[in-house]
Amino acid sequence: MIQRLIENATQLFLLLVLAPLVTGVIRTLKARLQTRRGPGILQPYRDLRKLFGKGMVIPETASWIFTATPWVVFFSTILAGLMIPMVAAKAPLGLFGGVLAVIYLLGLGRFFLALSGLDTGSSFGGLGSSREMTISALAEPAMMLAIFTVAIGAGSTGLTEIAGAAIGQTWRFLAPAQMFAFAALALVLIAETGRIPVDNPDTHLELTMIHEAMILEYSGPYLALVEWAASIKQLVLMTLLINCFWPFGLQPTWFGFGALQGIGWLLAKLLLLCCAIVLLETVNAKMRLFRVPELLAVAFTLGSLALVSTFLF
Amino acid sequence: MKTFSKELRERFPKQVLTVEESVSGQVTVLLNSSDATVITRHFLTERQARLVTVFAEDRVKAEGVFYNYYVFDQLGDPSWVILKAPISQDHPSFPSLAAELPSVNWQEREIQDWFGLEAAGHPNPRRVALHDNWPDVHPLRKDFPLDTVLPAFEGERHVYRPTLGEGVFQIPVGPVHAGIIEPGHFNFAVAGEPILYLQLRMFYTHKGTEKLFENLPIPRAVFLAESISGDSAFSHGAAFCQAIERAAEIEVPQRAQFMRAILLELERIANHIGDAGAIANDVGFVIANAHAGRVRELVLGLNETLTGSRVLRGMVAIGGVRRDWQRDQIEAIEKTLAVVEREFRDLTAILQSSNSTRERLERTGILRPEKAAMLGVVGVAGRASGVDLDVRRDHPYEAYRHLPFRVPVYQAGDVRHRLQVRIDEVGESLQIIRAAVAQLPEGSHRAPQQPIPPGRCALSAVEGWRGEIVHWVRTGEDNRLERCKVKDPSINNWPAIVETMEGNIVADFPVINKSFNLSYSGTDR
Repeated sequence: MIQRLIENATQLFLLLVLAPLVTGVIRTLKARLQTRRGPGILQPYRDLRKLFGKGMVIPETASWIFTATPWVVFFSTILAGLMIPMVAAKAPLGLFGGVLAVIYLLGLGRFFLALSGLDTGSSFGGLGSSREMTISALAEPAMMLAIFTVAIGAGSTGLTEIAGAAIGQTWRFLAPAQMFAFAALALVLIAETGRIPVDNPDTHLELTMIHEAMILEYSGPYLALVEWAASIKQLVLMTLLINCFWPFGLQPTWFGFGALQGIGWLLAKLLLLCCAIVLLETVNAKMRLFRVPELLAVAFTLGSLALVSTFLF
Repeated sequence: MKTFSKELRERFPKQVLTVEESVSGQVTVLLNSSDATVITRHFLTERQARLVTVFAEDRVKAEGVFYNYYVFDQLGDPSWVILKAPISQDHPSFPSLAAELPSVNWQEREIQDWFGLEAAGHPNPRRVALHDNWPDVHPLRKDFPLDTVLPAFEGERHVYRPTLGEGVFQIPVGPVHAGIIEPGHFNFAVAGEPILYLQLRMFYTHKGTEKLFENLPIPRAVFLAESISGDSAFSHGAAFCQAIERAAEIEVPQRAQFMRAILLELERIANHIGDAGAIANDVGFVIANAHAGRVRELVLGLNETLTGSRVLRGMVAIGGVRRDWQRDQIEAIEKTLAVVEREFRDLTAILQSSNSTRERLERTGILRPEKAAMLGVVGVAGRASGVDLDVRRDHPYEAYRHLPFRVPVYQAGDVRHRLQVRIDEVGESLQIIRAAVAQLPEGSHRAPQQPIPPGRCALSAVEGWRGEIVHWVRTGEDNRLERCKVKDPSINNWPAIVETMEGNIVADFPVINKSFNLSYSGTDR
């Protein structure tokens, strides 16, 4: 019982603390590649502190959806985060649903965000919501196929089992099915976290925004919750990707020194993935909005290929 | 000149009163009525001329009439033709040309708003320069004192064309925007992402600049001219000074003419490089923007070395330039530009080798050549859409007649070609500056100051980095101005953005707009 509490508390702590850091690292690395100094990797924490200390402006046209959304998004993302293997293969909250529950918890958050974008009646919110739903409707099937490929390999949709199976076969990710699934999930990760070439997280141009357009009306602590949730979601998806496919250093269970080792490996792998994302964002321009479905179609095709090749090889 | 005058008088004996050339390179044709339609048609069709600008002047106190001026640029002829049509006080109305010639749409409505002269038969005679909620005043009339305080505006707001239809929505954007840019309202009608049409509303920063010029001592008016559009400070300043110099027949020393040409090109280089980066930034290709920002900074630093101002303010003066350059300053030009040229070549390579960027810019925001010509689009945007105009070549001023250069013209008219025109022009400008530095004559940098005689009129045009800038002045008593008309290229080009929307989606608007990069302040004045 106490063991379980410690596991949960540690992972919760990691999610809350590590998520803004990942965002900060990505921003700083990007700035360096642009020969800028950047505001430093701790800036997201300062932003959160600033936003939590501010007052809020709530549009007169907003209903309860507007005020409920930040909480729903924040807690559904945290819950999803507790259900994935981070430090050890065993997820702290592996009670129900496995990977499907993770996907749908993230889906719930997105559903509420899209609703809140529409709720205020501002033109940009609606624009953002419609774009977000278009993209997620295409990204979700690709994600499902990729995850199922891994699940079939492990014989279970439980993330603990999936990660556990992965530990047993360190070099399994070189199998064709795994490589296809990895590529599909990586594309989904880019789309879901709103990064170039799908969305530009740093733009001030309202007309081009996707995620940012939905949350334009939020301010103060609510904005902080939404932003924090977005960075936690990014961490969750990144962790899912690396722990399902590169299980190096992932511990089978939580115990003393092994857990520390697990955290060390996690950080190293996250840093590597951050570098890959930053490189991709730097050498690419944002796609034309109507080309994004094509990118996600590629992800879907890769996911299908992955699933088919599980049975072939 | 003689034959032109004779031809015109024989052709239109009833309309034309006099034809005179008081300032070299400018022919003024006085008409006997406010109706300029017949002669305008003659110029447009038979003489292949282009109507550059239309503006009015209040001469009620001196001559008992208003005048409308129509400035024409004839293909292959370096002199300007100015039609001067009197409008009587009792019948303050003139026949509108806007239905045939959409390029004068806003300008005729400006005359309506500012002078209270009715553009009869205008297809859309609503307010433009003074917003709908303004009271019924005409600020550019001489009987409207500059220090008038108007009561709080309570009039009706502007009514936009309604957005109707199943699944069709309206997206109002601005006038206040998220970035640090100027105010303007964009009203999109969209069906999902595709744009059906766009309505523009400008003149949120109308400052009454043309009114402020009146009665201003001429040396001080130079500073006002510099502040018409901040990114074209030197071009507007130079255009104004040239107009005064032509009116007062001041001979600008050769050295100053070359210095002005160098500074005009430096302004062009700095802005074009900045735009190249900004276009890349708007499609999320941030690395090119970072690079462009660095290169632009080199040019701005050089500007400071040469003039003491990063944006070239306070340098141009009536009769020349305010400060002469020392040997080391001239050496700094060559040294800095060598670096800029190398770095800009790298930037161009980055931009052109990025497939994802090219994909975003090609075939985006196409302005078709026939529409560009119809709307009188000038400058960079015009040259990307087949409008082969460049004041430096067509009406040489300053030192440009001694400096060879090529004018890049493309037909495609998309964002990529507006970028390409800029890239080509940076290369040309670098060559112009090199040639100008090599030929820079010794001597004075400024003509001796002298009082400006009253009652003289002159027109001047300068190819600013954005396009053709036109100033027309009438001098007054005591070294003051009587009237100064300012035409920034933006006023022609804004309506063209509306025409590029066809087949584009909302998410591509920012980069299309950036590829034009028009001045709000210069439009609004």
